[in-house]
Amino acid sequence: MADLRYAYYPGCASQEITKEANEVTRKVAERLGIELHDMPGANCCGAGLITDYNYELSLALNARIFAQAEGMGMDIMTICSTCLMVMSTANRDLKKDPELLRRINALLSDAGLTYRGTVKVKQLLWVLAQDYGLERLKKAVTRPLDRLNIAPFYGCHSLRPSSALGFDDPQRPWSLEAVIKTLGAQAVEYTGKTKCCGFQADLVALDTAVGMTGMRLLSAKESSATCMVTPCPFCHINLDNYQGMAEKKISKKIDVPVFHLSQIVGLAMGMTPVELGLSRHLVSAEKILTGY
Amino acid sequence: MKTKFKIRRSDPLKAEPYWQAYSVEVKEGMTVLDALLKISEGDDPTLSFRRSCRSAICGSCALTINGFPKLACSTQILPIAKETREVTVEPLSNHQVIKDLVVDFTPFWNKMEKVTPFLLPADETRKEWVIKKEDEKAIDRAQKCIMCGSCNAVCNSLDVDPNFIGPAASAKAWRFVGDVREGHRKKRLERLSGEHGVWDCVRCVHCTEYCPKDAAPLEAIERLRAKAIEEGVVENPGAKHVLSLVDSIKRVGRLDEAAMTFKTLGFLRSLGMIPFGLKMEIHGKLPHPIIFLAIEGMKEVKKIYSAVEKRRKKG
Repeated sequence: MADLRYAYYPGCASQEITKEANEVTRKVAERLGIELHDMPGANCCGAGLITDYNYELSLALNARIFAQAEGMGMDIMTICSTCLMVMSTANRDLKKDPELLRRINALLSDAGLTYRGTVKVKQLLWVLAQDYGLERLKKAVTRPLDRLNIAPFYGCHSLRPSSALGFDDPQRPWSLEAVIKTLGAQAVEYTGKTKCCGFQADLVALDTAVGMTGMRLLSAKESSATCMVTPCPFCHINLDNYQGMAEKKISKKIDVPVFHLSQIVGLAMGMTPVELGLSRHLVSAEKILTGY
Repeated sequence: MKTKFKIRRSDPLKAEPYWQAYSVEVKEGMTVLDALLKISEGDDPTLSFRRSCRSAICGSCALTINGFPKLACSTQILPIAKETREVTVEPLSNHQVIKDLVVDFTPFWNKMEKVTPFLLPADETRKEWVIKKEDEKAIDRAQKCIMCGSCNAVCNSLDVDPNFIGPAASAKAWRFVGDVREGHRKKRLERLSGEHGVWDCVRCVHCTEYCPKDAAPLEAIERLRAKAIEEGVVENPGAKHVLSLVDSIKRVGRLDEAAMTFKTLGFLRSLGMIPFGLKMEIHGKLPHPIIFLAIEGMKEVKKIYSAVEKRRKKG
């Protein structure tokens, strides 16, 4: 069995705007016996934007995070797909090219840091589906979610680029559906679950962004989903916070509550809507959770 | 092995596209293009599709095979047929269908033209220009593009905004912007940073994932963005967005969402976000910059920034 201790990297979004995801992940992990060790010195991964500025700076900032995890003797677990993608891509490049690793370590040397290239980066979804395991997860379920038709929304960065992530199948992914079914709920099949939520264009091309958000939600709704779940806080921002704007853009009422992955796990373990921080969501889940 | 092919067909004279099934005897080594040729030479000469070189060089035969874009000529049938039992073949998405599997490439070529797909040398009189290996490496992947349209077919931004420049033309643009001999770099980057330009990419990573030649269009887009900022083309929301995060990490080690929104949108457009902000505040979602704490070890982060800056200045 895998060592269930991780250097915990919630990511910037989940320390602020989606902090309910962070709080619930901590509670769920504690109940499941997954040890999450804080990284108070961890910097932002750059969210891809630092790559748009200077790739070496992006690699150096990520190598600093990896060096910290290396010092803790643990792999990293994040709850953000974009952090996962950015860190995994940097890690892939640093691991496959010793000369590049040397160049980046030279940038870290003034700060007294070195990355040896030994850390793995995972996200909560992978930890549940593989390290913790679905059979064990099933045993932790005290309240099966059998009344929920959940649309799994992977978005982009937990699947692509597969050359850096290498966990799930980018064309026919299975992990999120597997977790949903393990919790006793139905996983809804619909078009667009592996497509983009639009988040990265929110501040640059809002129309394009919310257009995408609307398409994903509408597709799920039309396939009779009563709610959606995503492993990524950025997807959550668009699917939940921007759902009103998306409704206006596509001129259709959607009203589909969106959960963080940790929240549906918590729900199946008997946690209350208050414990799950659901009041922080803009689209209310009240009507689908009567009785929970 | 008998294999079922389900082909998405369209006839301009009929209103709706429809599926037609064919059964093809498939032998080891046969490609999807071989099967299409077999169908059109035998069962059904009316089936239309494009092909030319049969060697994954010409870029004519990109199709949606079992849901994702692939070159028909380099896609073996047996491995996919064993997995999914049947093979579905559709025209490329994000393109208008002319007939059956043939799509209209006019918008594709128009976008290529928009990025001026040829070198505009800085010095036309210079007879010889020795290219260093690392200079060639910078544009090497973008040069692999065979203009098959696979990346545009899966691009999520193009799906919503057909005017978006798209990954294929962006890769082509980088091939020249990144060329050491190029003389109109800044002008090109100014044009690419405009409306429907490279900043409208949502980083969905479909282009790089499904490119059959590993041309990595997203990498080209990232490099174009970085080059634009380096050349001082920063008066646009995309560049401002990036620079505000560069600054935010340098100050506090992480994302300062409130400052970032303000710096990206500017004062007036930020005012427009107030109703949304109030809604967010009700749910406790509005980031509060005043209480924003820096991470531990900020000294290290600052040292990394200055080491990178030093190296950049050295070139």
